[in-house]
Amino acid sequence: MWVLIFFDLPTETQKDRKIYAKFRKDIMGNGFQMFQFSIYLRHCSSKENADVHLKRVKKILPPKGHIGLMCITDKQFGMMEIFQGHEDIESPETLQQLELF
Amino acid sequence: MIKRTLYFGNPAYLKTNNGQLVIEMHDSGETKTAPIEDLGLLILDHQQITITQALMAKLLDANVALVTCDHSHHPAGLLFNLEGNSLQSMKIQAQVEATQPLKKQLWQQTIIAKIKNQAVILKNQNQNDKFLQALATDVKSGDPDNCEATAAAYYWKRVFPEFLDFKRERFGLPPNNLLNYGYAILRALVARSLVGSGLLPTLGIHHRNQYNAYCLADDIMEPYRPYVDRIVCGIIRKNGKFLEMTAAMKKEFLSLPAIDVKLEGQKSPLMNAVQRTTASLAKCYEGKIRKINYPEM
Repeated sequence: MWVLIFFDLPTETQKDRKIYAKFRKDIMGNGFQMFQFSIYLRHCSSKENADVHLKRVKKILPPKGHIGLMCITDKQFGMMEIFQGHEDIESPETLQQLELF
Repeated sequence: MIKRTLYFGNPAYLKTNNGQLVIEMHDSGETKTAPIEDLGLLILDHQQITITQALMAKLLDANVALVTCDHSHHPAGLLFNLEGNSLQSMKIQAQVEATQPLKKQLWQQTIIAKIKNQAVILKNQNQNDKFLQALATDVKSGDPDNCEATAAAYYWKRVFPEFLDFKRERFGLPPNNLLNYGYAILRALVARSLVGSGLLPTLGIHHRNQYNAYCLADDIMEPYRPYVDRIVCGIIRKNGKFLEMTAAMKKEFLSLPAIDVKLEGQKSPLMNAVQRTTASLAKCYEGKIRKINYPEM
């Protein structure tokens, strides 16, 4: 299960920018990684685990701005096609319980 | 939730940023990240791995078992946090004050569960399991007749194919090396869960070697050992006599936390089952229940 965060936050004033930077840092601290500018994602091993992370993000929502949260299954995520220019590139890997580096 | 196992067998630089584990691979120059809260077991098995102190502190904080390996690729040490549970001192108090009869009963349950699981392994290897089945019913409180040793002698003689001429010795010939590796992983898992349940892995219920820092882990892992033995049996079936450790074999051992285990009629991954075992042990110490939950094969 993948959790996606889409956000548009105001950056007009210094205070806004500070709130924006803090929000971005906070979600990264929760294990979200940048997919594109203003789109962050995280792999969760189960629906229950995804709920935990959704709840956490909801707790740190900034006062202004638009934020979208979405959960999609591994299968749906795997169907995504990603390009860099015309070139087809790999989508992020699903996390495995065991990984060898 | 089943936690992730990460194994590092190549040069890498491990650091932390934003509460994440950041992995810089030496050869490819790649950088990867992994959330520390999702990790359960981290194995460092290369001479050229660098790890920062801040990362170690964060891993301990998340109760990740950090295992380091020596030059021969065998697990050499474990690193654990001192404060794994919010009710730490209360639980440890109960553990220290556990009475001798209670400990003896717990040890009896442990040995019964172990012998029963060993019997299942023998059966899977097409050996006669009647002797062990009968022995399991004879175990008395505290195992004064040392049924454990009788079972072990019977078991090790038959569990592996005859051509190996197997003798179970710590530093013996293969597949002893495989067993040691698997047990070390298992020990790390059990010790991690014990700490998570607020117990002290040092104070055992039966093992009390003054030089052993993980007596309780060694006690509690007994009924789980046959799961390692089963993996080793599978490796022998595939490799015959050639039992030097390979990367493929390691991979099989490292899948240990995720294998399915039957506990109280329910299937769950071994890592979760161990957690339930240690949680029930903590309750036994506190006098809330009288039975440890052990898996059945």
